[in-house]
Amino acid sequence: MAPLLEVRNLKTYFYTQDGVVKAVDDVSYDVNRGETIALVGESGCGKTVSALSILRLVAEPAGKIVAGEIMFNGNDLLKLSNEEMRKMRGAKISIIFQEPLTSLNPVLTIGRQISEGLEFHKNMSVHQGMQEATRLLKMVGIPHPERRIYDYPHQFSGGMRQRAMIAIAIACQPQLIIADEPTTVVDVTIQAQLLELIRNITKELDTALILITHNLGIVARYAKRVFVMYAGNIVEYGSAMDVYHYPCHPYTAGLLGSVPRLDEPRKTRLQPIEGQPPDLISPPIGCSFQARCAYSISTCQKEKPQLSELTPNHYAACWVSQKGLRQWQKL
Amino acid sequence: MAISENAANVSVRPHHTLWGDAWVRLRRNKLAMAGGIFIILLSLAAIFAPLITPYSFSHQDLTAILQNPSAKHWLGTDGLGRDVFARLLYGARTSLAVGIFTQIIVLGIGLPIGAIAGYAGGTVDNVLMRFVDFMYGFPDILLIILIKAILGGGIYQLFFAIGLVAWVDIARLVRGQMMSVKSRDFVAAARAMGGMGPYITERHLLPNSLGPIIVSVTFNVPRAIFTEAALSFIGIGVRPPTPSWGSMISDGYAVIFSSWYQVFFPALAIALLMIAFTFLGDGLRDALDPKMRH
Amino acid sequence: MAEIVIEVNNLAKYFPVTQGLFHQKKIADVKAVDGVSFTIHKGETLGLVGESGCGKTTLGKCILQLIRPTSGEVIFESRDLCELSDKELVPVREKLQIIFQDPYDSLDPRFTAMDIIGEPLRIHKISKGKEYNDRVSELLNLVGLAPYMAERYPHEFSGGQRQRLGIARALALQPQFIMCDEPISALDVSIQAQIINLLDDLQQKFGVAYLFISHDLSVVRHLSDRVVVMYLGKVMEISNRDELYKNPLHPYTQALLSAVPIPDPAVEMKREVIVLQGEVPSPMNPPTGCVFHPRCYRAFADCSKIVPLLADAGGGHQVTCLLYKTSWP
Repeated sequence: MAPLLEVRNLKTYFYTQDGVVKAVDDVSYDVNRGETIALVGESGCGKTVSALSILRLVAEPAGKIVAGEIMFNGNDLLKLSNEEMRKMRGAKISIIFQEPLTSLNPVLTIGRQISEGLEFHKNMSVHQGMQEATRLLKMVGIPHPERRIYDYPHQFSGGMRQRAMIAIAIACQPQLIIADEPTTVVDVTIQAQLLELIRNITKELDTALILITHNLGIVARYAKRVFVMYAGNIVEYGSAMDVYHYPCHPYTAGLLGSVPRLDEPRKTRLQPIEGQPPDLISPPIGCSFQARCAYSISTCQKEKPQLSELTPNHYAACWVSQKGLRQWQKL
Repeated sequence: MAISENAANVSVRPHHTLWGDAWVRLRRNKLAMAGGIFIILLSLAAIFAPLITPYSFSHQDLTAILQNPSAKHWLGTDGLGRDVFARLLYGARTSLAVGIFTQIIVLGIGLPIGAIAGYAGGTVDNVLMRFVDFMYGFPDILLIILIKAILGGGIYQLFFAIGLVAWVDIARLVRGQMMSVKSRDFVAAARAMGGMGPYITERHLLPNSLGPIIVSVTFNVPRAIFTEAALSFIGIGVRPPTPSWGSMISDGYAVIFSSWYQVFFPALAIALLMIAFTFLGDGLRDALDPKMRH
Repeated sequence: MAEIVIEVNNLAKYFPVTQGLFHQKKIADVKAVDGVSFTIHKGETLGLVGESGCGKTTLGKCILQLIRPTSGEVIFESRDLCELSDKELVPVREKLQIIFQDPYDSLDPRFTAMDIIGEPLRIHKISKGKEYNDRVSELLNLVGLAPYMAERYPHEFSGGQRQRLGIARALALQPQFIMCDEPISALDVSIQAQIINLLDDLQQKFGVAYLFISHDLSVVRHLSDRVVVMYLGKVMEISNRDELYKNPLHPYTQALLSAVPIPDPAVEMKREVIVLQGEVPSPMNPPTGCVFHPRCYRAFADCSKIVPLLADAGGGHQVTCLLYKTSWP
């Protein structure tokens, strides 16, 4: 069965006064119906930009999608008109942002913000929209929803604002939700609440979910397949089990090795990845990770590795792996 | 922890300081550059006026009054036979001097008051700001007239009078800047190191507030210029024979229908100079705004 | 056990909430920190965990007297810091330093790296000229930065490098104690490990004590010798590191630990998460009795009526919970 969403060879660049920032440089991934995948990486790797590209929310004129296709239900989103794209956003594909305080309109009530999408996409009246908003707030676990729809964002706590964002995102029963670092700004106990909620709702509505995060623990718990991004490229992908237990890229292995784990005995010293991420304006020739890689060989500096299948359904872009020279264990 | 990890470190982007970066951004703003160049050219013309025009601003040739612009008098002559172009050039000196030197008074009063109020907070801030509010409520022109009546009529008194009413905005701005910079972590760090009030104000608060202050001063200049022109127009600005665009307009007002150029050129000069400073101020504000970097 | 460096006794910080047109009348207090006591020993790291609103940052700032506490004592070198004036604190401040969370806000953008690191030296008029330059170079080297970076400005450094500058600055005066206020939360995962190792190494080298404030329990476990858990301005549990993570007594600690996802899908598939109901209550209106009881999955009738005390549960493990008889007042 064809995937619900297929991002193919996406390239999104930003034109700045210092040069061209190749934020997303030939990235491909896919999501199946009802599936949860994760896009993992650190700041600057391009995960958020690729998600914004799907919804064509990249800030112009500085940002531009220069190449690629984004197939959703068989249609290329990049070829749609602005009008058609607007009908997609919020209705078929919605997004939950990281910071609910700035993503919510401070001068509209929560109820109106939820019903906005319903009025636009489902032609509901304001009254009907508000009723539906009440039902949605209840679904996301906000007590006394019939009263809270008249509240403003500042009257909600951080965790509740994020729930409201979730309510807005599911209002029109989208087929795909993109959650961009949805729990980075909330505390760990609220994070647990929110993620469990998102999991239950996506299961109930059979919605696909792209979970964008840098938190390896969240990915392990909630995603079935994982795409690891570094410096604008996907460097490894596969099922969560495969990627976590048998990482085939030194970056993935390095990340897994540098994070202290509660379920393992305490290490005396962490094993960090040395160095800094590369500059996206003038990326190095060859593999973008090799400056920080302890295992690089001469090929790594000359030619950029492409993704290739190393074990069934497990891909990595690494010369050392592909030549069978080494297997990384997570430390 | 070796240095090798930092080989992949500091960006390969060109090294530039904050001021350098601001200058680059300012240069790109064509209007701001045009404004700046105009101001520089006008200042040079004003300084080197004797080299540009053979006429003095006060020489009266009563045989050649109210003449139209000609080869001999480029912009014509006024009711007393004085060359309009010469008066325009020397008048530029007055306008620029007033515009710029009043800012010294403005900063001299407004900066300390704003800084003390902003840093001290509490009752001190309350008292100072109520004083500022009080001054703010005073009608400017009346206060200037009052001060000039007390102090007398020279140009220095004029600087003082205009400066004395214009400092309130700067005081409020500086106070606001102080309060916002005060809450930043690096100030807390300085306190944690043992830095006390005056040290922190001087080394941390003021340098980080400079941007908006510079912009505000740049916008204040055209206001001061206009104030001087307005005062001279109604006769209480600079005294003749000191040339002033404002008094040129008031002189030319009586013959506006026959010799329109008497009013037109000084008015145009005022307008252009004010616009130039405004464009420059806009450009500076954008260039110095840290949020607009990249 | 090594000697005590800092002793905190019943520290409290209340922020008054006022209302009124002309005369501000106090209507309530925000009890940011409400009676906290613990000790920090020489060369040890005390981890302070809790979620937003628990008061950990306010507590840290109160210890350093950056915010003046409402009541309580902070004993350092046999003197109560709360009693000292700002001026009297200046020589003391050489020995108590701070590292901030935000690497972008904690450095003055107009200072060069050299200025930043050397500021403590300049304020305390220690060393000039060559001695000053040497010390700054030495500090740069200690935190792993190259000497040519001394002339650069903060905006030219990455987040991790700025944090290194902050650490170098904190070390300049050879302090006995550094308060680390979430020093790695704003950094990328791969950089966090670098900074953690750096902090660890520096502690081994200089014997400096840390108060490590964080909401990241895995990191706290790695760095701390003992851990304090706070909730809504009060201490819920104090224990040795290993004890706390192996045998958490307080229901809040248990929920906190359970909420941390483990980066291993096989483990996560089998693990049950304790999901707490509700939100953190407002510190202006804390619950009666035990502040945690409305969200506690093990609460019983007395929990809403009786305020438990921090009491000894054996082996240096202290807990504030009515489930443990020693906590009854």
